[in-house]
Amino acid sequence: MSIYKLSFKNLKRRKLRSALTMLGIIIGVGTLVLLIGAGTGMQSYIKEQTETMMGDVSIYNSSGGGYMGSGDSYLDQETISKIKNMSQLYDFKEEVQFTTDMDKTPIYVVGMSDWSQVKFNGTSGVVVDQSLVDNFGYKIGSNITIKDQDFTVTGITQQSFGMGMGFVYLDIDRALPLNDNKVSSITASARGDPETAKNDVENQIPDTMAMTQSDFTKQIDDMMNGIMLFIGAIASIGLLVGVISIVNIMLVNVTERTREIGVLKAIGFTNREVLGSILMEAGLLGFIGALIGLVLAAILLQLGIILFGPQLGMEDVSLAYMLPTWLILAVVGGATVLSVLAGLYPAWRASRLNVVEALRYD
Amino acid sequence: MTDILNIKEAWKTYKMGSEEINALQGVNFNVEKGGFLAVMGPSGSGKSTLLHLAGILDLPTKGEVSIGGENVSKLSGKKQAHLRRTQIGFVFQRFNLLNQLTALENVMLPMMKPDKEKAREILDRVGLKGKYDRLPTQLSGGEEQRVAIARALANDPLLILADEPTGELDTTNSKMIMELLGDLNQEGMTIIIVTHDPMAAEFAQKTVQMRDGKIYE
Repeated sequence: MSIYKLSFKNLKRRKLRSALTMLGIIIGVGTLVLLIGAGTGMQSYIKEQTETMMGDVSIYNSSGGGYMGSGDSYLDQETISKIKNMSQLYDFKEEVQFTTDMDKTPIYVVGMSDWSQVKFNGTSGVVVDQSLVDNFGYKIGSNITIKDQDFTVTGITQQSFGMGMGFVYLDIDRALPLNDNKVSSITASARGDPETAKNDVENQIPDTMAMTQSDFTKQIDDMMNGIMLFIGAIASIGLLVGVISIVNIMLVNVTERTREIGVLKAIGFTNREVLGSILMEAGLLGFIGALIGLVLAAILLQLGIILFGPQLGMEDVSLAYMLPTWLILAVVGGATVLSVLAGLYPAWRASRLNVVEALRYD
Repeated sequence: MTDILNIKEAWKTYKMGSEEINALQGVNFNVEKGGFLAVMGPSGSGKSTLLHLAGILDLPTKGEVSIGGENVSKLSGKKQAHLRRTQIGFVFQRFNLLNQLTALENVMLPMMKPDKEKAREILDRVGLKGKYDRLPTQLSGGEEQRVAIARALANDPLLILADEPTGELDTTNSKMIMELLGDLNQEGMTIIIVTHDPMAAEFAQKTVQMRDGKIYE
């Protein structure tokens, strides 16, 4: 029977109080893991998708905003042929994105050559998203009209990025004429260093901007890190409140157990052992709370994948993406360390109690 | 005979506001190995303070307290705690068991090396065979005090110190507890009790009286 086992027993003795104290940690850790986990999962998923789908270099019109559906800045046929004539590049894939009206409703048209980017039922060619199915009753075989051209729907996708805007995916060859044969971007594989190829394109072909895979991943990282720092800071407030409640409850525990601490010292436990047992108790509250919070967050994340995965095209994402080891260790370790720190002042007070006075305490 | 406890010219002075209170005024006191001593006296006579000095729960303002020949004032806090744990067994008026622990766990708590077998034997010795797994709340006052005595015996101490051990017990239980302490003394244990209770004091080999911080034999 060591004094440290006593720490467990003390937590068990006051189950409700321990549980309520842990609740702060559980909510704090749970929120933190949930938000950061979702962010991390999305980040590594996007990065992986980028790496598998993208060529080495993507080229845009330099006046455009970049790679995310860059409005009306396109590469014209002349530029396209210059790009295709570059010996450093091969395996070209064109993509075009534009907005137009269909049935007097604005839609977003994506012309693509690499259909692996979209998950859909049916066959490739003309794929509409679920919102168009829901709003207009389209199904495979329906006829749709885009810019006076008739198409027959060949597939339906659950994926939607459109914030309420309908999406139509077309084969690049059929989409290009609708946009005066201008493309939004060309991706290509590079012979040699993609960085060199990128610079060559930008230097040799006017009005172009090129990005390599690592430019993309960096951009994604910068964006996601900013977001995660922000949500992490907010979720940490919850954890902080939990830690403060540990300080509070440990002070109450120590005061209530004044006589017991006096007895422990009277029967020969050192100040350091008393200090240690109270730090242990505080640390356990944090550790167990963090574990419970972690498990709850994992369950919620898994539920999130099941419920929202299909819309985001992320239904095959695994939980391991969202809960990398560093996150688990950092959160559980961090919560435990913070809780031990929270126990320092109460523990120090307990260890400094005068034995004779403590034994008289009622 | 060797002295287990030796108190020389011990003073204990407390400050209460601007007033100084001398709880002990030059007390000389010693207990030989195998002794059984009762300290009696009215409240505020200093008898509890004397017991606290004997158990190193407190240190004298002036004078010397030696246990097993060692001047405790010269020891570090850690060594004092070690001495308390290994050489002294405390029995309190209000039992002071840990309510979250069973009888057996309470006895094992102070053990330097946790030894279930030994803890059981000690509980058998104090007459609690078969009640190892009872919590203090499931025991009578007399039984609780016997667990407390068992706990005091856990590290085979030099000395047992009991502060009003019968103070919370009825006559029958008081008698049983004092008989137990008497038996332990017969087996060689050195015991000091502080008590109001003349019946309890009768079990001791020797009784000293305290008044106003001084001992009268």
